[in-house]
Amino acid sequence: MHKPVQLERRGVRLSEKAKDAIFLAVIICPAFILLLSTIGIPIVKSLYMSFFQVSLLSMKSQVWNSFDNYKQLFADGDFVHSIGVTFRYVFSVVAIQFVLGMALALILNGKIPFRRALRTVILIPWVVPTIIGALLWMWLFQPQYGVLNYILQSLHLIDQPLQWLSDMQLALWAVMLAALWKQLPFMVTMLLAGMQGIPGDMYEAATIDGASKRQQFLYITLPMLKDTIKTVTLIACIENFKMFPLFWIMTSGGPVDATTTLAIFSYKTAFIDLDLGKGAAIGALWLIIMLLFSWGYNRLFAIGEGKGGSAH
Amino acid sequence: MRQRRIFGAALPLLGAAAFLLFLVFPLYWMLLTSFKGNSALFRIPPEWFPSEPVLSHYKKLFADNVFTTYYRNSLLVGFGSTAITLIAAMFAGYGFSRFEFRFKSLAMFSILSTQMLPVVSLLIALYTIYNGYGLLNTRTGLVIALTTASLPFSIWMIKVFFDNIPVALEESAKIDGASRFGILFRIVMPLTKPGIFSIGIYSFILSWDDFLYSLTLINKDELRTLNAGISIRYIGELSYDWASIMTVCVTSIVPISLLFLFFQKYMVSGLTAGAVKG
Repeated sequence: MHKPVQLERRGVRLSEKAKDAIFLAVIICPAFILLLSTIGIPIVKSLYMSFFQVSLLSMKSQVWNSFDNYKQLFADGDFVHSIGVTFRYVFSVVAIQFVLGMALALILNGKIPFRRALRTVILIPWVVPTIIGALLWMWLFQPQYGVLNYILQSLHLIDQPLQWLSDMQLALWAVMLAALWKQLPFMVTMLLAGMQGIPGDMYEAATIDGASKRQQFLYITLPMLKDTIKTVTLIACIENFKMFPLFWIMTSGGPVDATTTLAIFSYKTAFIDLDLGKGAAIGALWLIIMLLFSWGYNRLFAIGEGKGGSAH
Repeated sequence: MRQRRIFGAALPLLGAAAFLLFLVFPLYWMLLTSFKGNSALFRIPPEWFPSEPVLSHYKKLFADNVFTTYYRNSLLVGFGSTAITLIAAMFAGYGFSRFEFRFKSLAMFSILSTQMLPVVSLLIALYTIYNGYGLLNTRTGLVIALTTASLPFSIWMIKVFFDNIPVALEESAKIDGASRFGILFRIVMPLTKPGIFSIGIYSFILSWDDFLYSLTLINKDELRTLNAGISIRYIGELSYDWASIMTVCVTSIVPISLLFLFFQKYMVSGLTAGAVKG
């Protein structure tokens, strides 16, 4: 970007350019080395390891086992099951989060007393570490003494105390509730920031033309927020695909395997069963799933954009 | 008609109240539980206000050396990874903002897409690599691993801040004979203070939140961070000691909430700048 002054002699200009290049290399270097050594090399190494029999106990000996890690994964069905659980979890939690987040953002974007204070207060769960959130919700969910069962029972919504985290049907939803509590604030804040970027006179013009609140939301707010929505829902999807602490603390993947997501399944395989090779194979397949997912995601948001692909 | 209008005005308030209850009540319950004695803890119906608050759980916690060790480790690791993230992200973000070079957009894209990689793939390989270089069970190893967790998004965020600073300022400084590093440190950095704050806070929060890396890469109790330490000490027992657990939780939230309340402005502006414009 530093345009060399045209009048300078040719030799000087070249050296300025060279200085720029050296400077650039020096400042990019630290980040590049860090990312390469803790992400770039490991990801390649782990893809490589997925073709070998490697145990945590004998990491030195790596034996080629002709795709046995992959064969096993497709043979025992746990892998496919965990993909199912992961997708159910990710889509439900992001969809609910988006709808509720939009509702709360609309409320906070309107005229409401203590708006500023409210915006600050609702953000607090977001800074609470995930495992703290997990423990907190375990206590709220506690079957005999947990406050949630007490409230629901005294409102006569349930007759029996619910076994939130040890019920096959309920456990995944219980974890989702905790995830929602932790992640909703971020969603709201982002959507709200996007809403505040929409010029107010668009709404004024719409009001003069007699557009209802609902029409204004559908034809002004939503289209104007499209990029924000795309970014925040993608962030939420990625974060929840990787979600580990909530499941590990609250259910450890149980009861049986009702909440065993890819993150839990791969961790258990690699670090509890000590089978690094098979764990790496799960990671490799997971990577392919993520690539397909993000490709599909970009397609989805490209619909109606005229030109294909994302606008970036 | 009139009724409908009243209803229309009350609906947002009711909605806000419901959300507030959902988001804040659990925190109140955590705080309340940490002050409940064991007889009050298991009372049904539960006490909504502490009738006889006790401090015994806090006293017990701070008398426990192990807990203070975890706490110190978390702080050390948090500050360490924040410092490295700041330096690396600032330099790289400035480079990406001010210079054009080949494969730039590819590089930016790959940096961001690292966020999508399965953590376990990274962990498996990191574990073996760390094992080879003696970085397992070291704070340095954990700091490096956590730095890369926050680095990608930090680079994006800070780049947006640099983009918003007019290049003209730097050009005039250059004509005055300032060196490139001089320009970066004396002219650009002071102007990007909000951006630097926001990535600093972002990476501290991320490292304070980490569980998986410290659980996997550290298995010596004296090096454990708070989250891994809590999980190992309190989880999986036959009967959970809920009052003590809630006490640890409250104590763990305090530093991060203070940080948040002081720097809230920067954090929100930084994240929205990075996410909305990125």
